[in-house]
Amino acid sequence: MDALIYAAMSGANRVLQAQQVHANNLANLQTNGFRADMEVSTDQRVPGFGYDARHMTELQANAVSMRAGTAVETGRALDAAISGEGFFTVDNGQGEAYTRDGAFVMDDNGALTLNGRAVLGDGGPITLPPASRMAIAADGTISVQAQGQAQMQPVDKLKLVKPAANDLIKNEAGLLVSRSGNALPADETVKVNGAHLEGSNVSAVEEMVSTMNLSRDFEFQMKIFKAADDMAATGNRLLRD
Amino acid sequence: MNPAMWVSKTGIQAQDAKLQAIANNLANVNTVGFKRDRVLFEDLSYSVAQQPGTQVDNNRNSVSGIQLGNGTRMVGTQKLFTSGNMQTTSQALDVAIVGSGFLQVQMASGETAYTRAGQLSVNAEGRLVNAQGLPLLPEITVPAKATGITIGENGMVSATMSGTATPTELGQLTLANFINPTGLLAQGGNLYTQTAASGAPVEGNPGTDGRGTLKQGALEGSNVQVVEEMVDMIAAQRTYEMNTKVLSAADGMLQNLAQVAR
Repeated sequence: MDALIYAAMSGANRVLQAQQVHANNLANLQTNGFRADMEVSTDQRVPGFGYDARHMTELQANAVSMRAGTAVETGRALDAAISGEGFFTVDNGQGEAYTRDGAFVMDDNGALTLNGRAVLGDGGPITLPPASRMAIAADGTISVQAQGQAQMQPVDKLKLVKPAANDLIKNEAGLLVSRSGNALPADETVKVNGAHLEGSNVSAVEEMVSTMNLSRDFEFQMKIFKAADDMAATGNRLLRD
Repeated sequence: MNPAMWVSKTGIQAQDAKLQAIANNLANVNTVGFKRDRVLFEDLSYSVAQQPGTQVDNNRNSVSGIQLGNGTRMVGTQKLFTSGNMQTTSQALDVAIVGSGFLQVQMASGETAYTRAGQLSVNAEGRLVNAQGLPLLPEITVPAKATGITIGENGMVSATMSGTATPTELGQLTLANFINPTGLLAQGGNLYTQTAASGAPVEGNPGTDGRGTLKQGALEGSNVQVVEEMVDMIAAQRTYEMNTKVLSAADGMLQNLAQVAR
């Protein structure tokens, strides 16, 4: 069989996987703080003598877009959005993970959590005292007006980090972790907007256009399949006549 | 099969759930003491098709990998306990809570439920009950000959009896506070019950320890913002639509494939 069909196959395979990346982005269009996955394809030389003209295509998808999502005011004291670059830090069980989602919730012990994971401050997990009012300041300081107190008192500070885009990678749970595996240092320059939440940074337009593109790409690969099939059939006929 | 189909399916389901929450919020725009729900999503786990940093040959590591997401999932809904608009009704038995805290009522089962809706009335036995007729806790009984009922900011209920000039104190209303009101379980009927996530209620007089004060002759409206819900609805609907588009694109690709391999 002509090797053409295998090259086309690698193309069709890439399209299927790339389609999943875009489908996932679109499915997370309403996920707070979601960072879109990016997908590129690279050519891959087929190793071995005599294959110099053969290049298969391969998908690369492990980078995330760092574009900011839209911040929406929610009015809830424990919501926070980061303006500009930066991330909140949560504990994912095996170390630190980073996220832009700031819909924090207190559990019954007063520990600040995000979707069940402990939110980390400068000195580890944050625990807040019973309070009637809470606020998150621009530098991430959480102040509370404890019961029986007249004044707001700062109790802890969110750990905010500001890594370069290529230092982060998504783990299997969909959280961002550092590529090196080491915890990132806190950064003082990150700005937080209290009572706001950041939406997903997925661009619906881009994702729809990519989806259309990929569908057509797939169609082309199918045409090549067909061409390869026709050529083989013609060859078979030659022998018959 | 094309994995994009299942990924889009999760997106469609998520928007379905979100639309239900929005519809419920909108339906309760005029419900006294209603607190809006919001739906939270999280991306599903990723499948790593190729780990970045695997060794390609003796002195080369692959610089990139392939990670494919599996869609979205609903992490949960949250009740947002921001305050609603104050409506002045001038009814003696309407109370609004200005600030945090919940009125307590006794459910038919004997359990205590918590509510922000303060449309109170007096039942046949003279007991102070809420709009559904559930008796308020602590119990307050209004004598038949009481004329004007006053509910103070500190929760003191008093009434003047016919024939006397000085008001008589009937009882003290208390408010319950929770460390995590978001963790309360909504029972419907404007009622919430305590859960392990909400923590235990901390009961006390209105105006003390950060509890709100009571305002007689006013009601707290729903905290649903109509415009916000409409915008959310448009976003949810369009997201739904786009996910179905990807679904049909994935379907089209499979159809193409099937036609080639007749």
